[in-house]
Amino acid sequence: MSRRARIALLQVAAPVLAVLFGVLISSTIILAIHQNPLSVFSLIVTFNLRPSSVASILTSATPLIFAGLATAFGFRVNIFNIGVEGQYYVGGFLAALAGFAVHGLPGVLHVPLIILTAAVGGMAWAWLPAYLRRQRGAHEVITTIMMNYIAFNIILYVLSLVRDRHLGGTARIRTPLFPPSALIPHLAPPLNALGLPIPLYSPLNWFLVGAVLLALAAWFWLRRSRFGYETKAVALNPAAAEAGGIKVARVQFVMFMLSGAVAGLVGLSDMLGRTGYFDIDFPKGLGFLGISVALLARNDPLGIIAAAVLFGYLDRGAEGVQTFASVPREVITILQALIILAIVVVYEVMTRYIRTLRKGEAA
Amino acid sequence: MLGRPGRARPDRRWAAAATGGATGMTASPLLELRGITKRFPGVIANDGVSFGVRAGEIHALVGENGAGKTTLMNVLYGLYQPDEGQIMWRGTPVTLPSPRAALELGIGMVHQHFMLIPRFTVVENIILGAEPARSAVIDFAEARARIRQSSTQYGFGLQPDARVETLSVGEQQQVEILKVLYRGAELLILDEPTAVLVPQEVADLFANLRRLREQGRTIIFISHKLDEVLEIADRITVLRRGRVIGTTSAATATKSTLAEMMVGRPVLMHLGRPEVAPGPVRLEVQRLWVLGSTGRPRVRDISVEVHSGEIYALAGVEGNGQTEFVEAIVGLRPVQGGRVLLAGKDITVFDVERRRALGLAYIPEDRQLRGLVLPMNVAENLILGHQGREVFLDGPLLNERAVDAFAAECVTNYDVRVRSITTPALVMSGGNQQKVVVAREFAFAPTALVAAQPTRGLDIGASEFVYAKLLQAKAEGLAVLLVSADLDEVFTLADRIGVVFNGELVAQFGRGQVDAAELGVCMTGGRRSPGQVS
Amino acid sequence: MTLPLIASAIRLTVPILLAALGGVFSERGGVVNIALEGTMIIGTFFGALGAYHYGPLAGALCAILAGAGFALIHAVVTVTFRVDQIISGVALNLLAVGLARFLNLLIFGVATQSPGVSGFPQLSVPGLAGIPALASLTTGISPLIPVTLLLVLGGQWLLLRTTFGLRLRAVGENPRAAESLGIAVYRMRYAGVLISGALAGLAGGYLALEQAHFYLEGMTQGLGFIALAAVIFGNWWPTGALGAALLFGFFDALSLRVVASAIPYQFVQSLPYVVTILVLAGFVGRSTPPAADGVPYTRGETG
Repeated sequence: MSRRARIALLQVAAPVLAVLFGVLISSTIILAIHQNPLSVFSLIVTFNLRPSSVASILTSATPLIFAGLATAFGFRVNIFNIGVEGQYYVGGFLAALAGFAVHGLPGVLHVPLIILTAAVGGMAWAWLPAYLRRQRGAHEVITTIMMNYIAFNIILYVLSLVRDRHLGGTARIRTPLFPPSALIPHLAPPLNALGLPIPLYSPLNWFLVGAVLLALAAWFWLRRSRFGYETKAVALNPAAAEAGGIKVARVQFVMFMLSGAVAGLVGLSDMLGRTGYFDIDFPKGLGFLGISVALLARNDPLGIIAAAVLFGYLDRGAEGVQTFASVPREVITILQALIILAIVVVYEVMTRYIRTLRKGEAA
Repeated sequence: MLGRPGRARPDRRWAAAATGGATGMTASPLLELRGITKRFPGVIANDGVSFGVRAGEIHALVGENGAGKTTLMNVLYGLYQPDEGQIMWRGTPVTLPSPRAALELGIGMVHQHFMLIPRFTVVENIILGAEPARSAVIDFAEARARIRQSSTQYGFGLQPDARVETLSVGEQQQVEILKVLYRGAELLILDEPTAVLVPQEVADLFANLRRLREQGRTIIFISHKLDEVLEIADRITVLRRGRVIGTTSAATATKSTLAEMMVGRPVLMHLGRPEVAPGPVRLEVQRLWVLGSTGRPRVRDISVEVHSGEIYALAGVEGNGQTEFVEAIVGLRPVQGGRVLLAGKDITVFDVERRRALGLAYIPEDRQLRGLVLPMNVAENLILGHQGREVFLDGPLLNERAVDAFAAECVTNYDVRVRSITTPALVMSGGNQQKVVVAREFAFAPTALVAAQPTRGLDIGASEFVYAKLLQAKAEGLAVLLVSADLDEVFTLADRIGVVFNGELVAQFGRGQVDAAELGVCMTGGRRSPGQVS
Repeated sequence: MTLPLIASAIRLTVPILLAALGGVFSERGGVVNIALEGTMIIGTFFGALGAYHYGPLAGALCAILAGAGFALIHAVVTVTFRVDQIISGVALNLLAVGLARFLNLLIFGVATQSPGVSGFPQLSVPGLAGIPALASLTTGISPLIPVTLLLVLGGQWLLLRTTFGLRLRAVGENPRAAESLGIAVYRMRYAGVLISGALAGLAGGYLALEQAHFYLEGMTQGLGFIALAAVIFGNWWPTGALGAALLFGFFDALSLRVVASAIPYQFVQSLPYVVTILVLAGFVGRSTPPAADGVPYTRGETG
């Protein structure tokens, strides 16, 4: 009884401990720049309670949910897809082509077409590493990293071919603007109608709902379906899974492709909900943040929602402390990285400790 | 298994006399263990172990798997620290905080799984950690010379610059032994050294060990193969459940007295053998060729038929192609030539899933590696391989209620001692883990069962349980292909016996047509009975 | 091929090579270090910082120490706590970006760049420096270029001929075997990772001191990952990494010169990545990583 309770408690306590550790180190840094950590953190809390902050947090969380899910789909079958970064870049770029090149479709068709293109684009970019792993044994960590850079280079080139020439000689290289049918409606109007005072300028949009629904679906599917069961066996003991008639390489390949498909969607909420074009400032680094989100959530889809919101929360808090307490927002970037390092260490130590406890339970 | 005629060898008597003769005399032992106890969470691996090893003897340490031999050796080698007890070296108490400390004292270990680096050369492997060097720069010329010299001295034919990955298993073992000697070890501990060797290599090893003894080295020889122990050892200490049962002189011991000490009662098992008339052929292997991981044929032209209601045992020393044979039959390894038929249907190109669906069950030789997903719970492990069955499915979803009901039934029927079906397999004992595998594989009325070393590492009680289940299933019409290296198991269970050697089926016998001695000869390639091979 | 192109290729090779050499040491000891990029970033900042206050030599030393210090985190997390090495590397790359921005802001008042700093006095090849046709190759040489070459040759010798090298390689191939011979596995792995950090830090320092003469955010431009590619393409040997880094440096130099030509420079820039994928897939050359590369090791869990 007490052992079981302790195991359960530990599992809840681990992420909390990691966050606390991160906060502790950041406090030291804040102290080092002669600020009061308590007032900085309380500023974050009050600042983040503003409706505009809530909208901003959820806006930042949206792509992170997709990125976290994409990474987790790979992690859940021992595939280290470090290429979410490149995959969402390719997905986003192809989606942009489908965005500005297609005219005359109604929004209910145009947006799904763009989403589909993005998913296919992300999947396509994941295909080569997935194929090379399955057929040639090439480790996906390195191949996906390489594919990221190839993606950036090629897209930079192709972008220069399709750039909006009306902009003339300005430094801003970007695709032509999308027609209105390609844009995703914002959430502020319906939320205002429900009495939630989200500012109308907020780019928070329906992709948030999509991301949450996708996470819920993934959670249910992985937990309850035969395929989900098979992914678990593959992750925990591929040799036994194989003997149980599970096609290990196929399950991994499918999850890799799903990972790529979801990765393709990462940039859409920003592109269809805010900018309406693709340019060289298309957000970078979300793929790597997705890894952090997935790690923090231990690859659990519901946990990913929470972790993505936490990261959005920290991002927004960073803006707040920069503006009102003149604490550089980089402190928060450091905090995020430290949380990840702490969480992986805490999980590792905890897993080993729980194993010892369980052995004791058996005897 | 390797029984050789003429057990009375003068050299051993001489050695025994030179080191003080029979048990009870006063010669101070080179190494003495006093009350060594080592606990792991939930297990006492060594429980007050005491015995002495005299200088210049070959001292065998025998016991079943799990008796605590390997733990004890890791204590001696500084990898584990004992919780209680004392180690005496040349009469003075010592502590062994690390392998390095053990080595410095003169204790060297030849591990069961070689501690070699395949991509390093012989010389690199041997000098590692004890390099002849001048201010950190290795003197390879000196190292080579020293290795050549000792290689010759002990009759090894090792080339210093050969890469270890290109050597045979026997040669790799020689590298291991040389590694220890190079460090000036006086006491060599060999952990199950014959497990990986073919018979000729075993003979070579024994010759080497005798030569080492003549040159004054002391050897602890760990094994559970009684014939080998009786052949090579001067004295024998028997461990059971972490305790020393006794130390005896090899000259006076017999296989049956040792066996009794090892297991606590006579090993002869009196199981009610149901006599059933064999039915039609259920599993048929026709002229099977299978390649090993190295790309060389490991199974050569084996043909076997197993009938309904029959247990066909494929006996053989491990490593003669059994693993590849079994994996090819169940679909885990591609076939180079030949066919596999299940109930008359050619399944040679089917994948594992399809074979299982057609009723081919499989008890893998390594239950932790192939049989179970240890972190998953009992219920999840029980449906592994059945996850595609209609009864467990609800569209694409698993029907959790059906899974739980099935698991509860298995746990009851197979007496799996577990708190709940949601307990991870990880925390279960070996016997209970194997019960989960057996329950799973006997479910859904299989047509044929391939059981590879089904009782390896189990205690007698659990083994008897598995035997009873196998015999019962056979009586109900199952065709069982048993692959085993354990002759007692083969004689207990088999209706027919095939012998595999070097990838070939070298003999085949009906029940009662062969005794252990003759089977042993066949297993070591000593004889073929081509007339009896179908 | 022109001499200025060769000279430029060599200059671009140095940072790749230094970081790759670091990667070789880390991975030979069994620890994959994809934080090379982040470590280089730390090196660029601390290189500029040291040089700004105390001159180029201090800059280089600062870069080395900071790189090693940063890699120490990787060692603690992956060796002591046995966390997955890729994950730790990803987190460290994120941390490096934040840390460099923060420190730069704190010390220089802006987030993204430092004041200008002076590099090492440049060398000329005695005797040949006077020939104008060869000037691009024989003059204006950073002293870090010959130092790098010496480090590569010394590194190869260290790995092959010394007890340290043999033990480090053993730990990367079969840590259990190494431990059974009394080798302190964790200590060796720490050593490998720290060396990789020092060299990657120096690689960053080279960028700030010798190429740009200041610190600029993002100036590593993924060179750390190219270095990772060079480790693989060079088959985990210093001399192999030299060849690979030269090739990649040449691609890089070429890409700067084809802006005007028919081949898009982005394609040329992608070549190192493409080559690495081909190598990994076994289409080009052969590369075998150390057997225990990337595998956390738990002390004393034999039997």
